[in-house]
Amino acid sequence: MNFRNRSSFPDDEGNLHDEIQTLKREINLARNIQSKLLNAEVPKLSSGEVTGRSIPARLIGGDYFDFYPLANGKVRIVIGDVMGKGIPAAMLMILTRGAFRSAAVSTTGPGETLTAMNNALYRDLRSLRSFVTVFCADWDPEQRILTFANAGHPLPLFLGKSMVEELPRVTGVMLGGLPNQTYQEKHVHLNANQYILFYTDGIVEAQNQAGEQFTIERLKNTLLKNEGKDVGNVETAVVDAVFDFIGDKTQKDDITMVTLRVGEDRTDISSFNAPMIYS
Amino acid sequence: MFDYKMVREGELSTVFFKGDMDIEITEVMEEEILPGLQHVQQVELNFAAVSFVDSTGIGLLMNLVQYLKEQEISVTVTQLSEQILEVFDLLQIPDILGREVFPIYSIEND
Repeated sequence: MNFRNRSSFPDDEGNLHDEIQTLKREINLARNIQSKLLNAEVPKLSSGEVTGRSIPARLIGGDYFDFYPLANGKVRIVIGDVMGKGIPAAMLMILTRGAFRSAAVSTTGPGETLTAMNNALYRDLRSLRSFVTVFCADWDPEQRILTFANAGHPLPLFLGKSMVEELPRVTGVMLGGLPNQTYQEKHVHLNANQYILFYTDGIVEAQNQAGEQFTIERLKNTLLKNEGKDVGNVETAVVDAVFDFIGDKTQKDDITMVTLRVGEDRTDISSFNAPMIYS
Repeated sequence: MFDYKMVREGELSTVFFKGDMDIEITEVMEEEILPGLQHVQQVELNFAAVSFVDSTGIGLLMNLVQYLKEQEISVTVTQLSEQILEVFDLLQIPDILGREVFPIYSIEND
């Protein structure tokens, strides 16, 4: 029996090398697990298209997006950002995913989903002194209505007809902030070929060598320049713009986005330039 | 780049934060600032020279404020820039930590 604490007293360089290799292997396994869970199947919509992408700042990250198919061809979209980065944030991201999947089954709208997630996560997040910001939305591709609720997350951007703006403001306390929360819902009616970009703050807060931030203005300009492209290309354009901006500087925060584009395979019954808000 | 200065005047300890508050300050916050405020009665966290706070920085600030309140130490967060205040509002930080922590709200109400 060996009573030595191998972690604290590696007896030679070989031991240390072995331990580093083990650690690397385990982190890579964790990364693969997270990558599989995060890259959930993108739902096929009856009309239009949606995609999502997450680029962790470290080997694994704390950002999260997911899709949950609902009845009548609708889909529930969620994007979240766990406080912190790296392995601790990744562990809480898995917890968040479980809470979303469970809540999505039993709740009728995004507001209720956030309430159920907060109820499920509140005690754990408080005891771990962490929190998660989450934006949740139900997309109905037939009626072209996006219904949404917010738990402290940046508001998604709407893009259409050479105009970019934030979705109507809807507030709510981040998950883990306060117990027994209810979350207000709003909805907007979208038109053919309009886009919604859900994103995490790692995009707008990405910094270059001079310490300047990418900012929401640069994100809006990138979207405007790429209007008309499919969601995959819009996503790539945003990623390229962020990494061109930060240059040689190390990526500080996870970068995640979900891009939704409204289809055009039905008669367009309205001609609004902006989303119609029903609140 | 982050730095801080802790000044004691009688019962009041003021912590002047300077620079960006993000994940890089985790150790400083937990191993220096928090233990440095163990035996005080009143704390002011001064944000006049803070240019940016990300979600991790907000979490660390929340943990610090909640810890001080648990110790029954009176705490205020002051001199927040408009930009940071906007982020705090979006996250409803004043509702979570208590509006009395942010004197700016009592000024607005006066």
